[in-house]
Amino acid sequence: MNTRKVTLLLVVLLSLVLALPAHAQEEPVIKPLPCEEPGKLTMWVWDEAWAAIIGDSIEAWKAEYCPGAEVDIQVQTWANYWDLLKTNAAGGELPDVFNMSQPFFFFYADNDVVLNLQPYWDEFGVDTTIWGSGLIDPYRWGEAGDLYAAPVNWDTIAIFYNKDMFDAAGLAYPTADWTWDDFAEYAAALTDPDAGVWGAAVYAEYQAGYPNWIAATGETPVVDAARTDCTLDNPGSLEALNFLKGLLDAGYMPTVSEAGGASPNDAFNLFASGKLAMVAGGSWMLPQALSDLTFNWDIVQLPKHPETGRSRSIVHAVGYVASARTANPDLAANLILYLASDEGQKFFAEGGSVAPANPSPAIQQMWIDSFGETAVNIQAFVDATVDSQGVTPFDEIWDVMNSELVVKIFDLGMSVEDAVAETCDAINAELQ
Amino acid sequence: MITESRPRTLAARALNALGSTPLSRRKALWGLALIAPNTLGLFFFFGIPVLMAFSTSVQEWNAIKPPRFVGLDNFERLISDDKFAQALTNTLKLIALAVPLEVLLALGVAVLLNLPLRGRNLLRTAYFLPVVTSTVAASVVWTSILQPRYGIVSRLLEPVGLGETKWLVEPGLVLIPIAAVAIWQRLGFDMIIFLAGLQSIPGELYEAARIDGAGRWGRFRHVTLPMLSPTTFLVVVLAVINSFQIFDQVYIMTLRTVPGGVSGSATTLTYFLYRRAFTHSEFGYASAIALVLFALILFVTVFQLTIQRYWVYYEAEEG
Amino acid sequence: MWRMLRRRVQSSHDLSIPIQVFCYAILLAGALIMVLPFLWMASTACKPSVELNRVPVTFLPENPVCRQNLDALYSTSPHFNRYLLNSAIVTVGRTLGQLVTCSLAAYGFARFRFPGRGVIFALCLALLMVPFQAILIPEFMLIRKLGWLNTFKALIVPGTFSAFALFLLRQAFLQIPTEIEEAAIIDGANPLRVLWHVTLPLSVPALAAFAVITVQAAWNDFLYPLVVSNSPDTRVVTIGIALLQGERRTPYNLLMMGSFLATVPMLVLFLALQRYFIAGIAMGGVKR
Repeated sequence: MNTRKVTLLLVVLLSLVLALPAHAQEEPVIKPLPCEEPGKLTMWVWDEAWAAIIGDSIEAWKAEYCPGAEVDIQVQTWANYWDLLKTNAAGGELPDVFNMSQPFFFFYADNDVVLNLQPYWDEFGVDTTIWGSGLIDPYRWGEAGDLYAAPVNWDTIAIFYNKDMFDAAGLAYPTADWTWDDFAEYAAALTDPDAGVWGAAVYAEYQAGYPNWIAATGETPVVDAARTDCTLDNPGSLEALNFLKGLLDAGYMPTVSEAGGASPNDAFNLFASGKLAMVAGGSWMLPQALSDLTFNWDIVQLPKHPETGRSRSIVHAVGYVASARTANPDLAANLILYLASDEGQKFFAEGGSVAPANPSPAIQQMWIDSFGETAVNIQAFVDATVDSQGVTPFDEIWDVMNSELVVKIFDLGMSVEDAVAETCDAINAELQ
Repeated sequence: MITESRPRTLAARALNALGSTPLSRRKALWGLALIAPNTLGLFFFFGIPVLMAFSTSVQEWNAIKPPRFVGLDNFERLISDDKFAQALTNTLKLIALAVPLEVLLALGVAVLLNLPLRGRNLLRTAYFLPVVTSTVAASVVWTSILQPRYGIVSRLLEPVGLGETKWLVEPGLVLIPIAAVAIWQRLGFDMIIFLAGLQSIPGELYEAARIDGAGRWGRFRHVTLPMLSPTTFLVVVLAVINSFQIFDQVYIMTLRTVPGGVSGSATTLTYFLYRRAFTHSEFGYASAIALVLFALILFVTVFQLTIQRYWVYYEAEEG
Repeated sequence: MWRMLRRRVQSSHDLSIPIQVFCYAILLAGALIMVLPFLWMASTACKPSVELNRVPVTFLPENPVCRQNLDALYSTSPHFNRYLLNSAIVTVGRTLGQLVTCSLAAYGFARFRFPGRGVIFALCLALLMVPFQAILIPEFMLIRKLGWLNTFKALIVPGTFSAFALFLLRQAFLQIPTEIEEAAIIDGANPLRVLWHVTLPLSVPALAAFAVITVQAAWNDFLYPLVVSNSPDTRVVTIGIALLQGERRTPYNLLMMGSFLATVPMLVLFLALQRYFIAGIAMGGVKR
């Protein structure tokens, strides 16, 4: 083809591409439907801010799709949410619709507590693959892989870095293509023992910590999806943990005690105090970061593994489930559909703190825009959802792999192999 | 002398059980009437749930599916469970650490705050403050204070080389801050009871002792301590019962590091029970633990009740 | 009041200056340890969120925002005053209820012989020996069966019975010599009159201790109200404060502000009840 034809083709293609998003915005990914029969529902949420957003969303649902319905939103304390759920389940007082989190789903599905929503997805014409496997695989159950929950929000992990420190050290800012080796170099160059500053703190607890690095090697972190095996002693896991421990031993990362705790919030406090150049943080930290950080900062995706070339983030999705014993299953499913739909998700997108799970690019952009004018690369969190790893560990093994492993390796100085051996023993005992 | 013939009817026998004389029978009925409201209320609202919980100990139950009878399996498991043994040892260590210290310190503070010192109302309030400070707020603060290098405790201990000690993480050390915070939180409670007891000692006894030539220490030994013994007994029994069940401090102070301590080093019996129930959904096993814990506490308390005759002096004979 | 204190210090139980200094030194050192977390709590309550969890920790806020945090607390938790009121209702209800039931029962155990007295007392005491976590679910089921979920009944009624108060008051009554009571009985008073006119007035310090401890326990109760009565109408302040902890983010300064507000009534009450601890010396005497 000659160059003129090529240029013309490109121009046509370009204009089509530019026109498409406009159309895509008008075509919702998930459409709500009117309910057949209004009724009463009780609903549990674990956060008052959440309750406010949901309240608005439900008001819109009632106005547009289900006049006459009543929803009693009950807020429970986050710290006691799961204990209360079990207590109420034991007493036969489960709410009709409630928040669910991936590590806890197995117990409720295994005991027939939650309603199978797959028949409703089929009836509503929703293709459940639109959400991406990381978000919904942990909510699938049964041989056919029925989806029991609607993901309502997600969070992913990225690296927050202090631009002022990079400038002072004369380093170029990291890009999305950076590798583990680049990361190690930056961590070394940015550590300043005299000033009490470390290059990075990224080993932390499960969601923001070491499993992201394990996932980048291609390994499923901690437990495989079939819940048969502890994967911490596999080569990929050991490689990732040893890489991080190497950085700790070289003095580029603080110990857990120095950070004040094993949670990413503790590491983030060090970052906010100007004692860390890079920190692994979740998308939920954005509001706090935007209001509290006093220096120039930005966000970049986790570095890529040098061999696999993958940068993977743990993705956690909060979902809505219905009780299997609800008196109004159709109504509950209808509400859940609405909360997952573009219309319902608008409220979450505008609310800002947690990212909406609806895969429509318009909704995602709405979430990014909700943070206002900022040069910070929030898109990095959205990009991280593409090649992401869903949560596989479950409640019974949570502590032993979440904080205990981290403390053993990154505080008490145990070797990776020893700590992993102890942890896998505990995990394998629970898997039986 | 009137001899009563053997009672034959049920009513007559019941009446006889109450007492041998009309007066003692009336007193017995009064006694029963007086204790009835509290006792019936306690048995209904707390006794029934306790019995329900204990009956779950011979079952396997995850709170959702119907319970399944398993006989003594839970107890057999208890005997061979290392984690239970560890929880038991941790609890006993905590009791040995916390109870004597708590009681002695509370007694000392109460005695000092009973003296005519200026500003003692404010000081008493200061000592009572931990009792009313929310456990969450207090534990958040204590965790910060104990942080290696940056926390106040670490900064104070730096000259002696203990500035880097990881109080809440090191398995061998974690029980110390937990005991310390437990004592800290309960001291005011014991102090109040001791103060009330000290205030009940009649002033005449001190006068009499002073006239007999007893000095300050003598008066303390021969008047205060014996007259205070019913109160001391109360405080000790309650402190032991409470320490067997330490939970809040473990829960909140290990939440930010490793819940329950690294390798279970901070896990107490109640914490262990709670985790088994709500994290692992083993309510039957948890109930078995509760039953064993109850038996332990009961045994220790009964022991204390029996030896009280050797050291507790009651002013009035028990009517 | 100053003159009264002066007289007290110069009374026959005079303390020499060295002893006073010694006492103060110990007591003040201890008091500092006792109040330090509370002071920290108050200081955190006035910090802006930027200063929270700064490393290294700063004691005093650089930029105190007490008023703003108070407003922020009320905007985050608009019903906070209602929670305080609910806590007050529950506390008063439980304390008055226990005062009646437990003093009656303590008197019965202390002064009357009846079959099964020892066993029943031991059984009551035994209830203290089971941790609440173990009976959480059965308790929930019981309240649910009664239809009392999310009512004030559930919060107050079970709390009007207490094994601890029983134990405390029984020990106190046993310390009172029986002569005065016997005198009243001979005069024809029935046990209730004796209790009201003789025994209780002689037990004022113990009653003060009972009041302080029971009020404090009711006010700070968390787990039980959480399980049985968490509707906004019946929510108590401990739960109101816990709700400030979000899934992802906890505004610790607001949390501490809320905790501070919840602690102040307890302190005021304690200061007010102090005088009853002093009552004893004047009232304890019996002429033999």
